[in-house]
Formats: sequence, C-alpha cells, structure tokens
Amino acid sequence: MGQTLRVQSLRKRLRSFPRAICVERAVLITESYRETEGEPMVIRRAKALQKILHGMSIYIADGELIVGNQASMPNKAPVFPETGALWVKEQLDLFATRSLNKFLVTEEEKSILRNVLDYWKGKTILEVAPLYLSEETRTVFQQTYPVISPTLFLRNCVGHLIPDYAKIINKGFSGVKKEVIERMRLLDPTNPESINKLQFYRAVLIICDAVSGFAHRYADLAEQLAVKETNPTRINELRKIAEISRWVPENPARNFHEALQSFWFMQLIIHIETDGLAESPGRFDQYLYPFLANDLNANRLTLEEAQELVDCVWLKMNEVVKLSDVPPASKYFGGVTMSENLILGGINHEGEDATNELSYICLEADAHIQLPQPALSVRIHSGTPEKFLMKVTELIKTGGGKPAIFNDEIIIPALLNDGVPLPDARNYAIVGCVEPISSGNANGWTNAAMFNLGKCLELALNNGVCQLSGNHIGPSTGEPENFLTFDQVLEALKKQVSYFVKHMVSMLNTWDHAHQQLLPTPFISSFTDDCIAKGMDLVDGGARFNYTGPQGVGLADVADSLSAIKTLVFEKKVLSMKELVNILSQDFEGLEEVRLMLRNKAPKYGNGEPLPDLMAREVGLFYCQEVAQYRNPRGGHYRPGLYPVASNVPLGGVVGALPNGRKKGLPLADGISPVHGCDVKGPTAVLRSVARVEHAAATNGTLLNVKFHPSALKDEKDLKKLVSFIRGFCSLKLMHVQFNVISADILRAAQQDPENYRDLMIRVAGYSAMFVDLDSKLQNDIIGRTEHML
Amino acid sequence: MTPSGIVCNIQRYSIHDGPGIRTLVFLKGCPLKCIWCANPESQLARPEIVVTPKRCIGCGKCIVRCPEKAIISTPAGNTLDRNKCIACGFCVEECSAEGLQLMGQRLTVDEVVKEIEGDGIFYACSGGGVTLSGGEPFYQPEFTFSLLKAFKKQGLNTAVETCGHASFKLIEPCLPYLDLILYDIKHLDPDLHQKFTGVENALILSNARKLAAKGVKLVIRIPLVPGLNDSETNLIQTVEFAREIGIGEVHLLPYHEFGRQKYLQLGRECALDINPPGTERMEEIRRFLSGRGLIIQVGG
Repeated sequence: MGQTLRVQSLRKRLRSFPRAICVERAVLITESYRETEGEPMVIRRAKALQKILHGMSIYIADGELIVGNQASMPNKAPVFPETGALWVKEQLDLFATRSLNKFLVTEEEKSILRNVLDYWKGKTILEVAPLYLSEETRTVFQQTYPVISPTLFLRNCVGHLIPDYAKIINKGFSGVKKEVIERMRLLDPTNPESINKLQFYRAVLIICDAVSGFAHRYADLAEQLAVKETNPTRINELRKIAEISRWVPENPARNFHEALQSFWFMQLIIHIETDGLAESPGRFDQYLYPFLANDLNANRLTLEEAQELVDCVWLKMNEVVKLSDVPPASKYFGGVTMSENLILGGINHEGEDATNELSYICLEADAHIQLPQPALSVRIHSGTPEKFLMKVTELIKTGGGKPAIFNDEIIIPALLNDGVPLPDARNYAIVGCVEPISSGNANGWTNAAMFNLGKCLELALNNGVCQLSGNHIGPSTGEPENFLTFDQVLEALKKQVSYFVKHMVSMLNTWDHAHQQLLPTPFISSFTDDCIAKGMDLVDGGARFNYTGPQGVGLADVADSLSAIKTLVFEKKVLSMKELVNILSQDFEGLEEVRLMLRNKAPKYGNGEPLPDLMAREVGLFYCQEVAQYRNPRGGHYRPGLYPVASNVPLGGVVGALPNGRKKGLPLADGISPVHGCDVKGPTAVLRSVARVEHAAATNGTLLNVKFHPSALKDEKDLKKLVSFIRGFCSLKLMHVQFNVISADILRAAQQDPENYRDLMIRVAGYSAMFVDLDSKLQNDIIGRTEHML
Repeated sequence: MTPSGIVCNIQRYSIHDGPGIRTLVFLKGCPLKCIWCANPESQLARPEIVVTPKRCIGCGKCIVRCPEKAIISTPAGNTLDRNKCIACGFCVEECSAEGLQLMGQRLTVDEVVKEIEGDGIFYACSGGGVTLSGGEPFYQPEFTFSLLKAFKKQGLNTAVETCGHASFKLIEPCLPYLDLILYDIKHLDPDLHQKFTGVENALILSNARKLAAKGVKLVIRIPLVPGLNDSETNLIQTVEFAREIGIGEVHLLPYHEFGRQKYLQLGRECALDINPPGTERMEEIRRFLSGRGLIIQVGG
C-alpha cells in the first residue's frame, strides 16, 4: 500500500522548513538555573525541564495525528547551553553562513543567545571536565594530531540510550510516581545513601508532573483547534488527539494510537531534556505489537490506519533536529543525524522468531517516508522468515542504505560472554550506529571516543614521533631500523596502542565524573532500570549495565600495512625497514613505484587471504582486550568497538603515509570494511575476511559497508540471492552489514548538482543521511567504497 | 599432483549464471571466434599479457627484466611486441602499477577447489555452486572432467556454460557430475554461424539433441547481437529448435560492450561496432517469443 495523502502532505510540509535555531529552550533553562542556584543538581535539572516543558511553544500542524514538537517550528534546533554554550557562542555568526549544516538565526535571536550564554561561562562540561585531567593525560588530550578523539561527550550530553519505553506505555508516569512514593516511604533516614536517593526521587516526582502537564497542553490546544475547525473529520481527529494527550503518557495506553503517542512524548522529551545523540527506540515492533494485535482483533483499527499512524511517527522522528557543531564534530559525524536506532525482528525471550505484523508495517513506513530517521535496523537469525528477509531486501533495493542488518547468532553469545544474562542478551537492541546493548536497562556510553589505530602504527614506525608535527607524542618503542623480526614491529604497535588506550580511559573516566557533577538526566532515568530501584540517576550508575565504549578505527589500513611489511620487508626482502620508513616520511614523493608495490604486491584484507585477515584479527583483538580490562566510574566496564561513524575521513587526515601505500592525510578504511579498491574478489570474499576478525570481542559493535551496483538487484531473483547472501552473513557470524545500492555515477552527479538530489539518502556509517548534506571529502570517500557489480 | 589447466579468472558472487550464488571459473581457450566475443582474453588457449598503458608509471623495470626484449617504451606508456612475447610473466612480477597483468594461469584441480570452497556457506544458503565457463570448458576436456568430478565430491551444484562445439565423446563422461548445462546457440543458419563464429553449427546442434535426449537439464542461451542474429526468423527457429528437442527454457543475453576495452589491452582489434540492445527492445523480443510453451527470460 502507498502512503496516504495526509502522510504525503505532512512529509512535504516537513521538508519545506529551512533549518534554523530556536532560542526558547536556552532562555528558559538559563532562567531556571538562575532561580535554583545552590540546590542539588538533580533537582535543578528536573526543575529546568519542568520550566521548559511548561513555557516552550507548542503546535499541532494541520493533519497531524501524532503530536508533540521539540522547538517552535519544524526543523528548528533548540540550544543546550549546559553543554554547548562555549561552542555555540563561538560559532554563532557562522551557523547561518556556513555552506554545510546551515542553521538560520536572526540578529535578534543572536543577541538573545549572547545574553543567556554569558551565564554559562565556566559552567559547561567542556570547560570543567578537562580541569580534572593529570598533566600527562592533558598533554595527550591537547595533541594537534591526536590518536584519540574523545570530545563527543565533552561537547554534548551522552545520550546513546534505550530506555524502557514499554514501562511508560504500560504503566504511565502515574505508575512511576506511585513506585517512587513507595520507595521514598521505605528509605531509611539514618542510612547516608538515603540522602542522594531522596534527592533523585524528588527530581523524578517533579518530572512526572511536568511531563503530564506538557501532554495536557496539547490536549488543551487540540480542543481549542477543534472549536475553530470547520471540517467535521478534522474536528473528530482533534478531539481524539485531545482525549489521547489528556490520558497518555500519564496513564497506561489503552490502544495502539495511545501507545504510539505515549512513545512519541517520551522520545520527544528525551530530546528536550538533553542534546544527547543516538537516543534509540530499540525493539519498537516488540513492545508496541500487543496494542496493535488487540486493536486488530477487536476490529477497532485497520492495517491501513495502523500504517498511517506509524508513518506519522516516522515523520515526527525526522522533525527533531540537533544544532550541529562544526567544526570539529561534524567532521566525525557527517550530516545532521540523530541516529535514533529502531530495530525489528530477531528472537524473543523464548528464543523463537519474533517478527510480527508491526515489523512489516515499520519496513513499509520507511519506504513511505524515505528520510534518515529512524536509523532502521533488523535483527536476523537462522530462523528469520524468508518473507521478512525479502521485504528487507526490497527496502535495501531502494538505495537509502536501510535497514542495517544485525546478527543474533553472534551478538547474543558476545553479550553473554560479556556477562549479560540470557534474557537481557536475547532482548538486545542497537544504540546509534551499531552498538548492541540490552534493552531498557543499560547506560552504555557507546560512542565514547574514536581511537586511531592508523596513527598508532605511524608512531610505532617512528619511535613515537608524529610525522606531521615532528613532535615526540608516543612512547619510545624502538628505532624501526633495528627491528630484526616482524614480531618486533607488531610489539611496537601494541605498546603504542596500550599507552594511548590507558590515556583514553583516563580522559573518558574524567568526563564521566564531570557528567555526574553537572548533567544528571532525571527524565530518562525515570524509565531506565534500575534507576528507581537503586534511587540513582543514570549519571551516577543507576542503570543495571554500565559501559564505556570507545571505537578502534583504521583496522584494514593497519592490517594491509602489516601484511606489506611482513611480505616485502621480512619475507621477500625487497625493502629494508630503514628504506621503508624513509619512503613513508617523504609521503612517497617521487616514489610512486614503491607506493604501488606496497599496495599491489602484498596480499590485502578483504579477499579471503589468511595473512592480512589474520593481521586484522590480531590487531583488532589486541585493541579490544586492552580496552576491555578497564573500569568506569559508574561501576561498569569498558566495551570496545570497531566502527568509525564517519570519523575515518578526519582521523585519516592526521595520519602520515602508511606502508599499505596510503598517502598522508587520506581517509582510513571505514569500520572493519576493507580499504577502498583493495577488495577485488567480490562481496563473498569480503565477508569471509571480515569473519576472521574476532567479532565476539568487539562487544560495542563492528561495522561493515557493502556497496552494490543497482544492476545486482534488478529483479526478484536477484533479491532472493541477496537474501541468501544475508543468510551466509548470518552463518559466518558477522555482527553487522549494511548496503548502499546506488551507482557511483549517480553520486557524482549529485555532487555536481546538489539541488536536484536533495532527496538522495545514502548510508554513511551506522546511519543514513542526505548525500548532499555531507562534506565533500566524506562524499568522495563514499563514492570510493568498492562497488560490487554482476 | 592433480590434473591442471589454464584458468583465466575466478569470479565470485556470480548471480546470473545458474541457480543461487555461484563462483564462475573461466577456462582459457575456445574453438569459436565469435566476432562479438565479450571475453577475448579467454579465446586463446595459452597465457597472454594484458597491457593497460595508462597505468604505466614508466619505471622501466619490465623492459630490463624481459628476456625476449618484447617491451617497448612509448610516451603513452609501455607497449608489448606480441610477436616476441612468450608470456613468461616476468614483466608482470616487476610491474607494481598493474599495467601488465598475466591472463591465464596454470592451476591444478586442487588449487581451483581450494579457491572456490571458501564460499561454501553461500552456496549452501542459496542453492548455488560452481559454473565452468570460458572460453570453452570442453576445450580442456580432461581438466573440465576432473574439476566437475572434484566439485561433486565436495557436494557442490555444478554447471557448465558451453558453446557445444566439442566431440560428444568428450562431453558425455562429464554428465554424471553435471547438474546444469547453459548451452549457447548463436545462430541456426549454418552459413551465418560459420561467418560470425568461424565454425559451422552442425556439431553444436547435434550435441544439443543428444544431450536433450539423455534428459540432461539444459538451458539454451542466445547472445543477442543486434543486426547479426536477432532477426525474427532466426529467433523463432532457435526457440522452435529448443522446443522440438524438448528444452523448456531459453535465456536471451543482450550484447554488451564491456569487452571492447579488452581487445585493445590484448593488442587486438575489436571488429564490431554495434550498440547494445536497449531494455525495451529486449522486452519486445521476449514478448514476441513467449507463448510457445517455453520460459523465455532476458538475462541469465
């Protein structure tokens, strides 16, 4: 079925608004903070949210069935001074003029913002957290050409959560309130821990009322609009909206429409409470299905009506916008993406297939809406129905890079191995790009930092000296000309990795500590287990599972480089270590022949050949084990990942020439995908190589991009073969794969003519974005991803 | 040592040459010289050097290494005197830029099996397997026989893509190890067949009859070359021939130009200058051949 006229016109409407800045939130939160100085931080945060929800503009657009807005107009981004005051102020004059990620802002709005932003001087996490660092770690933090990029959670709230939506949908905030009052009653006033618990409970009570009050504002507005409305159909719709918003999310949802509206209020307020990214709806088709099934059984709702409602939720998810921080953040996270990962299918609590009618409706909704949010994903396992996979490949064929595919057969064992109990492991969902985590009860910090493995290799080949600055920034791991065996090269690399991992952990733990001091999140904590049971905000470790997840980037370049060193230096002895290092320091200037030899005359990762594949495995595993040994301040541990978001482009920018023939400054390979153009044996060989990396150790996720030429997906027969390919992926126990089905020619045309390709959505990393919104370097990188034809 | 043969190329994730996800093994050497051939690198039975002058960076190492002094430096990159070249491959070893590449490698049956068995998981998931193509697989009959036997021992689905121009005595022993034959019929007219491919079609048609009579699963493939074999008469005759001998499926493979570049790289001339048939034309042909009780399909 196609999308309804309502959905078409709402989509058109959404796309018609320019991106702009909304100042309301910044003004309201600043007023609130001024009023609450001296009070416990968690209470201040609750009161601030209360003030915002009470004072911000709300609207119900013509034709909307699901209501709730983040800013005064669609595509307007609120400002979060508690994290962004410093960078927003610095970039204030640039937002409206820069070529990428442009946000309109008037002179009057700028002056309002300047006034309020002054209040935040010295109070933001960006200013406070680095003060806590040791001298040595601070030096590493401030490096010009760094190994570690840890700033996402220094410039933003953390986000990256999958709260327990089902709890609110089923019990309502009135249920939360009841539970909190009971917990408060049972607090032992003599226990020192009770003091903090009491403050947290008080904050949650403020939140519960604030949220209900916010929904009631929509009920009032809908009633007023109904009075003015002349179209009888719309009058009924508005009355229904009023009735629903009067009821949820305060009370348990009674039908599918109420459950969706309750979901949307939660998802929306999460994005008003903080500017965290990757706030992920998780297993949407699981927790909402009982409501759909009941309505369908009782003939209260048709499938067409259900589809339209879900389409409306999809549109709403694209209405939420975050003001993007350029530079440096957008370099690492191309496009303005919220990375709200919503995942379908997989196995249920009993281990049986869980796909249902709603799973299909969600796939259809994505085909209808064709916009970046949600970051749609599917879970597959050996028993995933063929019909579901066919529907998945039909959506892949449209070329938007969705859905991403995740493999129960490896992710569940990996989580079990990491200490997650079976029921939680089976109930995993994906945060943001590719990070698997149990639903409803974890605080994963899953995109905590990017770790540049390519830079570590550069330092290992130069005794710790950076080839871009000439400064000694890494540990002294020996002059390479003295390396007599290949193992010594590997040893030096590992020492560099260990050294920087240690400093990365020190930084991230420091940021974590500062978030505890400055940025409690009582709203999302109120429905993430076990915050209420523990009487603890998420920032303090209230979740049942607490992780910190930094990603290693550049694995394929390192594997190919090591393969070249082993083959050409130590086996064939065509070059000496001294010559190699010398050539790299000249960035192959005038030495194209040697560069091509390094690139073409040693085996490369991505072709199913053991040497480079096992190098990727060894380095990847070493990085993971180094990271996994550390603990974070929330009582949890570190979880390594091997994926790049879009950081492989800027991270490559700080790395000198590498022995795989990659010149200075060029992008690194993305995720655990092979280096562009080096996987010449087709997609099945790629999967076999990638399968050699130890996925179970990278519990924070891995990422594999595969690009197909549209001619490989012409008809149903081709789609069936793609289904088989995905089943092969499942048997090979890879964690993740995502597809771009678009020819390089079309992407080049879009680069030349952005106006006519405004609607061209492609897969960047763990998310999709509008191609024309991306930085040209990132565009070129995506064009360069090897395209599999035939 | 297991028997060996000259292999042109091994291509994975092939989805248009038999059921499921397949690996295509291109063998070198063909008894036909079709003027539209898209794989000229597979025509000659012996290894050849493929030259891509625009990749040449002028390092000169190939010139020094060549024992036959067959490589000549030109401003547009190095070129090869094919009268002198013995395809020893030394220049290819020296060429880091991949301006010189060796087409055709002698591989043993074991080596081929090792290359293809890595994709076993994909064959299993898709009902796929291996397709021998070329060139002409029966041009290296013993190698083809041993390969098919070895593939079957691995439990793989097997197919051969053949022009049919081989003694039936060479084809017959392979049948127990073959699940599918993709059988090319280029033209029904013996004279035109001779003109376009260099050989008459009598042996090809007789082999097709024999194979069909033995109940082998056969699919007829017509490489559709505009102006040469796409006349109504020829297409109807071909389809009628298929029906008469009891074959149920015909694939129409549109001529394409991807091979043109290869002629230059092999130091040969591409005799043909024809535009590929468009999607609409192919559909038109498909429709007009339908309704004769056979499955007519565009593409493999």
